[in-house]
Amino acid sequence: MSIILISSDHYETGRAVAQQVAEATGYAFLDREILGEVASASQIPEPKIRKSLERSSSTVGFPAKVRNRALASIQAAAMARLLDDKVVCHGLAAHLYVLGVSHVLKIRILCKEEERVSLITAERKVGIEKARKIIKKQEAADKRWSLDLFGRDETNPSQYDMVISLSQIETDEAVNAIVETVSYRKFQSMTYSIKCLRDKELSIRVKLALMEKYNDVDVTADGTTVVVRTKALRREKRKKTESIRAVAGQIPGVSYVEVHMVKDIFRQAAESA
Amino acid sequence: MAIITISRGSYSKGKEVAEKVASRLGYTCISRDVLLDASENFHIPEMKLVRAIHDAPSLLDRFSRSQQAFIAYIRCALVQHVKEDNVVYHGLAGHLLLKGIPHVLKVRVIADLHDRVRAEMKREKVSEKAARSLLLKDDEERRKWTQSLYGVDPWDSALYDLVVHIRKLTVEDAVDIISDAAVSAPFKTLKQTQQKMEDYGMACQLKASLVDSFDNVGVKSEYGNILVYAKGNEHHVQRVRKKAMEITGKMTGVNELEVHAAQKLPPNTV
Repeated sequence: MSIILISSDHYETGRAVAQQVAEATGYAFLDREILGEVASASQIPEPKIRKSLERSSSTVGFPAKVRNRALASIQAAAMARLLDDKVVCHGLAAHLYVLGVSHVLKIRILCKEEERVSLITAERKVGIEKARKIIKKQEAADKRWSLDLFGRDETNPSQYDMVISLSQIETDEAVNAIVETVSYRKFQSMTYSIKCLRDKELSIRVKLALMEKYNDVDVTADGTTVVVRTKALRREKRKKTESIRAVAGQIPGVSYVEVHMVKDIFRQAAESA
Repeated sequence: MAIITISRGSYSKGKEVAEKVASRLGYTCISRDVLLDASENFHIPEMKLVRAIHDAPSLLDRFSRSQQAFIAYIRCALVQHVKEDNVVYHGLAGHLLLKGIPHVLKVRVIADLHDRVRAEMKREKVSEKAARSLLLKDDEERRKWTQSLYGVDPWDSALYDLVVHIRKLTVEDAVDIISDAAVSAPFKTLKQTQQKMEDYGMACQLKASLVDSFDNVGVKSEYGNILVYAKGNEHHVQRVRKKAMEITGKMTGVNELEVHAAQKLPPNTV
């Protein structure tokens, strides 16, 4: 009864490994197939939802507000499914937002470099040296994307329990290693770790609801109590608190909402200037 | 039947993992032995070798031949050890010194800085601030060393076959994972891979003997046929040829020797 989160430097390679792990363990497989559903629930067009997960995509015509809401919608949908337990998740950046849950095994798969080079040379009709440069650029984009949006570097091995390079190790061996590792007792779900995951799922649902009106909210949950932190000017403090309480209070699973306001010093300074 | 290199930062439990893997598989576990052998064979004080493989090269070192020479000596000693197979090496830079050998399982063991700081505080009896600063300085030295000599970042996971994070996974779990990987097919020693190792050993031996007199020399070997590439004019190449012939005359397993002038040293040479 665990959750396996797989990240990769090459989407198709990571997906293939994740699928094999799901088959070997009998777990459900979760990937970008849910994005259609996410799009209709969030009323953001599906291409935009997909674009929000693309590391090297341009941000032109994709405002930060929409991108953040798209990512929050993906998070909410993924977390809801992870609550079912026995899931192998790939391609939804879950390794960057499912944090501090003990029954989650995080794995990064590195594709064979020659394989990536040959795919790029075939796809883009470029030479080997140029393909290597493109790979370097993609890696830098992965790093920048994850740091900008989640404050974590997804290329850093300390974000994972294990990193497996497929340069020498065969895919089957990698799958066996993951299956074996997830069977360790420490990756079995416990009451506390399930609660941690539930809290995270509730907090992202509340955040998503609040994002319709407020962009700068930070939400944490503990059981049915939700704590919202945000910024406001003194004169709008009361109104904003009430509004947040009203929106968050309607979310299923929330019984109490605590709102912490911090003075918005930049706006205050701008208004007094 | 494999060679395992375990790279680690200070207090990352890599040494413990390496010793337990060696004990589990019945392999020899080596680390400082390599430096001792290099020191004895090439008559260099061990301390100088430790500095050459640990400290980031200074501006002066980059223009001097000594650091390159010391690394060639260490690589030569390491290859002589691992040629015998069934070895776990947990000294510095094993994954880089044995780059290109197919049946080497390259592992990195990492731990959270917080845990490393606590371990250092306990062992060295220093404050948290001092322990953190020492560890960060040590990590930075490693990073600079690898970057200046090999142009890569030691934290780059692509340099390894496996990176194991000791946090949720314990030392015992890491030992299980590494031991299982080591006995898998890609890391089994085959006739061809053993031949490659023999060739690599010969190239390293010749390079270590040449590096003292000549810089900008690249050596490789294929089935006992040794190719030496030297940067310089014809006179320089002649001198390299003469010296190489003298050295290979005393080596076993050498079929032929060719010395070529080169504008740029080929990347697959040592």
